[in-house]
Amino acid sequence: MKKIATIAMAGALALSLVACGGSSASSAAPAASAPAASTASTAASAAATDLTEISAGMCQTPAILTSIGQSADVDIANTLCSKAGIEVTMNKNITGDELPDDCKTLILAVGGSSKGLGAAGIDADQELARTDALIAAAKDKGITILAMHTGGSARRGTLSDSFINPAFEGCDAAIVVSEGDADGLMSGILAKNSTPATYVENTAGALGALQTAFGK
Amino acid sequence: MRKTSSNRSIAKSAIALGLAAALTACSSTAASSAVASSAAPSEAASGAEASEDEVWLPYDENFEKKRDERDATGKTGAVASCNWYASKAGLDILKEGGNAFDAAAAVAYTLGVAEPYFSGLGGGGFMTIYSADEDKVSVIDFRETAPAAANAQMWLDENGEMKQFSLDGTNNLGTMSSIGGLSVAVPGEVAGFEYLLEHYGSDAVTRQQIFQPAIDTANNGFVVGVTFKEELESEYSGLAANETLSNIYLNEAGLPYEVGDVITNPDLAKTLQLIADGGKDAFYTGDMAQAMVDAVADWGGNMTMEDLANYEVKVREPVVGHYKDYTIYSLPPASSGGTHLVEILNILENYDDMDTIGVNSAEYVHRFSEAFKIAFADRAQYMADTDFAEVPLAQLTSKEYAAERYSEITEKSGSYVAVEPEELEHYATTSFSVVDQWGNMVACTKTINYGFGSKVGVPGYGFIMNDEMDDFSADPESVNCAEGGKRPLSSMSPSIVLYPDGSPYMTIGSPGATRIFPTIAQVIERMIDYDMDIQDAIDCARIYDNASENICYESGGVNPITAEVAAELQERGHEVTDKGEWQLFFGGVQGISIAQDGTLRGGADPRRDGKALAY
Repeated sequence: MKKIATIAMAGALALSLVACGGSSASSAAPAASAPAASTASTAASAAATDLTEISAGMCQTPAILTSIGQSADVDIANTLCSKAGIEVTMNKNITGDELPDDCKTLILAVGGSSKGLGAAGIDADQELARTDALIAAAKDKGITILAMHTGGSARRGTLSDSFINPAFEGCDAAIVVSEGDADGLMSGILAKNSTPATYVENTAGALGALQTAFGK
Repeated sequence: MRKTSSNRSIAKSAIALGLAAALTACSSTAASSAVASSAAPSEAASGAEASEDEVWLPYDENFEKKRDERDATGKTGAVASCNWYASKAGLDILKEGGNAFDAAAAVAYTLGVAEPYFSGLGGGGFMTIYSADEDKVSVIDFRETAPAAANAQMWLDENGEMKQFSLDGTNNLGTMSSIGGLSVAVPGEVAGFEYLLEHYGSDAVTRQQIFQPAIDTANNGFVVGVTFKEELESEYSGLAANETLSNIYLNEAGLPYEVGDVITNPDLAKTLQLIADGGKDAFYTGDMAQAMVDAVADWGGNMTMEDLANYEVKVREPVVGHYKDYTIYSLPPASSGGTHLVEILNILENYDDMDTIGVNSAEYVHRFSEAFKIAFADRAQYMADTDFAEVPLAQLTSKEYAAERYSEITEKSGSYVAVEPEELEHYATTSFSVVDQWGNMVACTKTINYGFGSKVGVPGYGFIMNDEMDDFSADPESVNCAEGGKRPLSSMSPSIVLYPDGSPYMTIGSPGATRIFPTIAQVIERMIDYDMDIQDAIDCARIYDNASENICYESGGVNPITAEVAAELQERGHEVTDKGEWQLFFGGVQGISIAQDGTLRGGADPRRDGKALAY
């Protein structure tokens, strides 16, 4: 419950800033509007604390953002990139063959959605095949792969976990909302591969982590 | 252990301090405006409707859903809904002297504020009600209705395939039947509850009293729970695409609110006041109706002012069945739920040892699985809006027919009749129950269909239009295809059960799409055959099967399906899918039971944010 107080204070302070700016501040978004945790380095699990932090500027643009699992988390990641001042091209279904030669970073928004897969007209096996081929192509081209899991525990389970495994095994860096890795699935893979990662408290916290990764 | 009180006090103080700082530092008009609306959380905490000490949150200190504290016991009145704010609204009306029907309206309107992703003014549903004065059960059908211009071809491309909805031509947001203007059916919620109040409401409370809790919740704000957060993230793409909805339900960074955040919706508060003052006409005619028509048209829809003005509530005779001398009243078509609930229980009644084989044993699960598969086969074959199709209700709910179907069941997994493909796993919708001191009962299930419905928000009015058209079949040859004025097939099953002596036993309902009636059948069977308390029966692990012949089950929680049981089911020819524990997939049951001594027991589902209250 500590968070309510944190948010309330942060929200009230944010309001004062909004008010001072005299902007047309969103009227329906009061205390809640302030991201609770802006520090991108909050480690939540014991395993996560053993990981190496993402170093500043290890990711570069041009960057491609894609979904791994076709959940709405890719759109959230797109918003985060936009807010972080990182120019990305979002292509939810990009294949390995379609990766442009000048691409420097491939961002994977990881999370399975049966609804999203259905809307894309594919099944989980097809998405996994695309994932494997995409990661292989990115590695061939020397593209840095940044995996993001921002959906928390709601974006875990049999379907999502099937996408977490290849994405986190293949990535060069990761940003994870801690609450979604209580069982250490992702931190275990990252630790095994000595992959640098930043754990954040919530979705908004990923914004700072992205800025660090891209040297913003 | 509740820590809500002290910590919310801290929150309140923090907000007050921050606001004081803002007021001190600034004096612009814009600043005043922002502060005024944002001050709401502290005002809510200080108490127009509920003091901060009273607020019950459905999650613990780790922001995980509470698995306990859901039930309530009383002697005078009880409410069980998917949201504490709504249950509190209903209980307050009961305590102020209103009857169950007054309270049901208060619950419904408050659900539309605090649980807006699953139901609201832009949606519809069904109520099964028991009037103690009349000693009669009735069904009020306020299901959404297809606009007059709707037809079975409108979503299909030249190849007969479902088209995708996109605002920019590249970013597909979903199927055209499930998002955007052509997914919107004419809403029935306001007509439904206006009908309820007009015909069954008491004079003990005013309309303003009934609407005020919802208005206060919208103005003062409500705390985001775990389910809310999950829906915000799941439906983010559509929310972000609609400015009206993103202004309300996304934070200033354009991201989903977090658990513990507070959301207000002053536009919806104004809308509710307009309906409180003007009744049904305020919604279905005039400026508000025009705003709905315009919003739907902006996203490619075809609903008209005439469609809204012509909307009618339908009062229907309930489906009636019996299980071991208990009487079950539930929904007739256009919901398939009641019919198949009765059919399933009728089939199971042919076994003389259902009460001894053990809940969630392999044999128990097998029997339910077979009964479910038979019901789904019949559902696909026969079910549709009875205003448009002949449905053999008498046959489907008869003991003789159930006995025939029972005779087809063997020890092995069976196949019955080929049916439609498995539906997407949406678990939206909401259900609540109310019982008052006079014995009146309401079981209501209502929805805007998928999470946040069509994603069409109504600018200036703060509510969301449904995507109920998706409940029609996309197959133009289907008995359940879209036609103007038709109501789409539903699985909703708000039900009322009577003891063998005819006295009221329980009111119960659940969301969960096609899992609704299988879920309710399991809860009712466990209460009758195993004498389970309603909360225990709700908590108990569930299964689901349809014509896909794949048993989905909960492997965790209370009385789960064990690995050994799953293995035995596979040996008997079933495919099985472990869905984990406490899964929203299996619905969210809310219900109230009445003991023979009159004690009321409210139960609410830990799979959602449900909370029962009683006094």
